[in-house]
Amino acid sequence: MIRYIKSAQMACLEKTNGGVLYLMPDIFIKICTLIPLIYMWKAVMSSGADVGMTMDQMLTYTYAGALLSDMMVVRTQATGWLSEGVLMKLYGRPLSVIGQLIAQTAGRWLPNLALFSLPMALASPLFGVKLRPASPWFVASLFLCISLGFAIDILFACLSIKLRSMNWLIDRIRAAIIAILSGTVIPVSLLPLGLAEIMKYQPFASLGGAVLSIYTGAAETAAILKVQAVWNIVLWPAALIVFKKSQEGMVSYGG
Amino acid sequence: MEVKKKIKRVIGLFAISAKMDLLWLLRDTRYALAGIAGEAVSNLSVVSGVWLIAIRFGGIGGMSVDEVLFMMSYSTLVTGLFILFGSGNNIHISRIIGRGQLEHLFMQPNSLKMQLITGGFVPFTGCSNFIIGCILLIVSITRLQLQVTLWWMVRLIAHLTATMAIIIARSYLVSTAAFYAPVEAEEISTAAIEGTWQLSTFPLSGMPAFIQLPLLTILPEGLMAWFPALCLLGKPPLNLTEYYPFAYALVLALAAKYFFRKGMNWYVTKGSNRYVPYGFRR
Repeated sequence: MIRYIKSAQMACLEKTNGGVLYLMPDIFIKICTLIPLIYMWKAVMSSGADVGMTMDQMLTYTYAGALLSDMMVVRTQATGWLSEGVLMKLYGRPLSVIGQLIAQTAGRWLPNLALFSLPMALASPLFGVKLRPASPWFVASLFLCISLGFAIDILFACLSIKLRSMNWLIDRIRAAIIAILSGTVIPVSLLPLGLAEIMKYQPFASLGGAVLSIYTGAAETAAILKVQAVWNIVLWPAALIVFKKSQEGMVSYGG
Repeated sequence: MEVKKKIKRVIGLFAISAKMDLLWLLRDTRYALAGIAGEAVSNLSVVSGVWLIAIRFGGIGGMSVDEVLFMMSYSTLVTGLFILFGSGNNIHISRIIGRGQLEHLFMQPNSLKMQLITGGFVPFTGCSNFIIGCILLIVSITRLQLQVTLWWMVRLIAHLTATMAIIIARSYLVSTAAFYAPVEAEEISTAAIEGTWQLSTFPLSGMPAFIQLPLLTILPEGLMAWFPALCLLGKPPLNLTEYYPFAYALVLALAAKYFFRKGMNWYVTKGSNRYVPYGFRR
């Protein structure tokens, strides 16, 4: 376990190697996107339309989603591992490859949590956002979301092994699909044209949107946790089998 | 005579870029088609998010669903033009500077300006978003029952040109940093262009002035789609003149030109430190 903690620590330090200053543009952009998004939702919700969520819930949903964005939709280095020389590092160490990916990803979350999420959480009252969770079960949901996120990420990584040089493309399409289907941009329950009912059982809906719905008290906790658990049970074995079969097909270039 | 020759050369270079793009499409059709689909899906996901919110709530901040659709069509057209003319890192100029690739352009028997204008033209593999933008524009115009006159079309083209000028000028302005710090600033244009792209799809109508004004001045995301779309709908926001985006584009372009030239002067005397003598990139 200590070896994985060290891996996480190294990944965290790697992100800040160039100095904390180099992280500032990203943080600035995140803040500049979050604040208008909050006010956009205020403008939208003030129309008075009944959508099954109050304005406070919607603001909390958006704000908490932004603060925990890295965990809402997990993205490991496996996406670009064929072209960025990551493979050599992972296979050169006496540790499980998937274990290293998980440890490194978690380590890379830390600078953002410290420099963006924590200060913005403290500043939330300034924007009229209440960050108090409606249910403590959101912790369990967050755990299931992160776990499922890793399984989905591994499956996409295997797809990039299969399609060789298309990893950039897979990443683009994946980001586009998840942006809509995970409920992190718009809550799945708010999708119009009858899409809400269809979409709530697909696996991406068990990512960030599920956690945020429990966090804000906008959905039934037990039902969401059940769906999240089912997708974890289905996709983790699938990810491990596909990964085992894909390893021999890896062709790395670049570095 | 000299101008005529230059124009002919520019057209010739566009034709060469188009031919190379077509050759790529024919040689590696599977990958090229996947790339076309990927770009289209990626952009549609960004704009459809805002549009779906508008449908669910019957509009956003005083803008009707069809007006939001019109704004999204404008945003898609801008994305389309960007990909159509900027696919060779010629707009993401910090990558060329940061990677020490300006020398590659210096070796060609054409001016740097001419190469940068024509080098990223991909009319075959990069047209998907432009076509989708045109279709969305026609649909939204029909639904809004807008009177499309020749003058309106001229205004549309002028606004699109101003928006592109703002994107390019901002990218070149921040990319100047790559002359001085090539490693650190190699991707600075990506942060300037893509980093805030989601923000540019937000309809700012209904937001307080302290949000709107910075997004029309410090970070000009409001000028990427919201402001020009409302101008074309005959409702320029915040009592500003319709000419504001043009003035902004001009000032930004002049600033970019000044600082970029300074960076170039520094570069031609100091060079790039990205390559070691035996060829590897640092």
